[in-house]
Amino acid sequence: MSDRLTVEELAALMKTAGITVDPTEMASRPDRSFDEYGLDSLGLLGIVGELENRRGRALPTDADRCKTPGEFLDLVNHSLMTGA
Amino acid sequence: MTSRTVITGIGVVAPNGVGADAFWKATQSGISVLDRVTRSGCEHLPLRVAGEVRGFDPGALVEDRFLVQTDRFTHHALAAADLALEDARLGRADYEDDPFSFGVVTAAGSGGGEFGQRELQHLWEQGPRFVGPYQSIAWFYAASTGQISIRRGLKGPCGVVCSDEAGGLDAFAHADRAIRQGSRAMLVGATEAPLAPYSIVCQLEYEGLSTLDEPERAYRPFTDQACGYVPAEGGAMFVVEDEDEARRRGATVRAVLAGHAATFSGTRRRDEAGEGLAHAVRGALREAGCAPEDIDVVFADALGTPEADAAEAAAILHALGDHGHKVPVTAPKTGTGRAYCAAPALDTAAAVLALEHGVVPPTPNVYDVCHDLDVVTGSARPAELRTALVLSRGRMGSNSALVVRKGSAAAS
Repeated sequence: MSDRLTVEELAALMKTAGITVDPTEMASRPDRSFDEYGLDSLGLLGIVGELENRRGRALPTDADRCKTPGEFLDLVNHSLMTGA
Repeated sequence: MTSRTVITGIGVVAPNGVGADAFWKATQSGISVLDRVTRSGCEHLPLRVAGEVRGFDPGALVEDRFLVQTDRFTHHALAAADLALEDARLGRADYEDDPFSFGVVTAAGSGGGEFGQRELQHLWEQGPRFVGPYQSIAWFYAASTGQISIRRGLKGPCGVVCSDEAGGLDAFAHADRAIRQGSRAMLVGATEAPLAPYSIVCQLEYEGLSTLDEPERAYRPFTDQACGYVPAEGGAMFVVEDEDEARRRGATVRAVLAGHAATFSGTRRRDEAGEGLAHAVRGALREAGCAPEDIDVVFADALGTPEADAAEAAAILHALGDHGHKVPVTAPKTGTGRAYCAAPALDTAAAVLALEHGVVPPTPNVYDVCHDLDVVTGSARPAELRTALVLSRGRMGSNSALVVRKGSAAAS
């Protein structure tokens, strides 16, 4: 249940990488790329690391290669729900 | 005669002022801003006095995403680069047709100690999974060059000079070469932030680090009270351009980079005879096509130990001959501290401003000079200035000299 990654939590994580995003806007445009938000690859790597620490488990190795919030939320939540 | 490389923009983040105007006002007034070290976690360390940049809010100048991934020394660089671009009235529209013609070169000696220490503390307290990914780049000497390049879209020749403190002058030579090889403009300079606990501990074994706790006594080169130097943070960035390109776009030419030379006189101990520095001065004069008498003011390295001061005085006298006794010598850094690689960058900013204003700024806290040099003490000295010589030495034996000429000087 609370394991699920929401757009709100993702927006808060992006804030720690210095990127301010409105979660509602991100939810309405899940295909807008991280690149367009200004989040670089190291920034996404940091978000993956922080999420792994929060959830106490590893995420799929390609999590930090996702291009968009939509893709990232799908991948992470699928992994968290199935325990894969 | 080939085209010249000129300074068209100056950006300063210094302990005595942010922005070239504030810096110059404080520098020419001769006030000292040396004070007790107050940076977090440093209060109990044996270094008591330094030149801190206070009242500088990087968040007001630089976007969060650049701030979170960079150390304080890069915050200084990003802000100083902005100020330099603004001063040069050089915007993205001026170079976006050819971003490969505009590069960046900085010098760095201390690196991102504050950022690195924080991440290493995470490592030891919580484990490797709590070290952020930006640790991989933020501490690194090249971080400022890279981040300026990324943030401003500058795709020309980019580099970092690691030749100790003198690198702050050597960076100008690299920028000059890039211009001669066809670049239109370069951002060049150095900034440091060595006032973090880890960085200070590294400096405690440095020859000449002054641990006196009275700000007005801690850094007094060229006197018989000389007891070493105090460190500082901050620095300066410059826009340099090909003179023809600068004039074509109507930029103000603030100064001309006339000559530079560097020597290396050994890592084991300082060059006690000053021979290496004298060679650098002669080389810089030769490149500038200058006679010793043409030098109107010397901005000294002023390390502040009796041996290093004697070596510098000897170098000035050897390289400039009789003129060495007469030329005004100044070391405004006694009022701000010695910002390692950024010290000669700040001195170069002060030199350009001195040329523009016809005023030699004084050497704060220095009285009763015990060397045969005309050190400007007390208050600023008005003088007709056309050509300035800036000197810098590194802890490990690098020596550099830079000659800058007043912007309006004839090309001859």
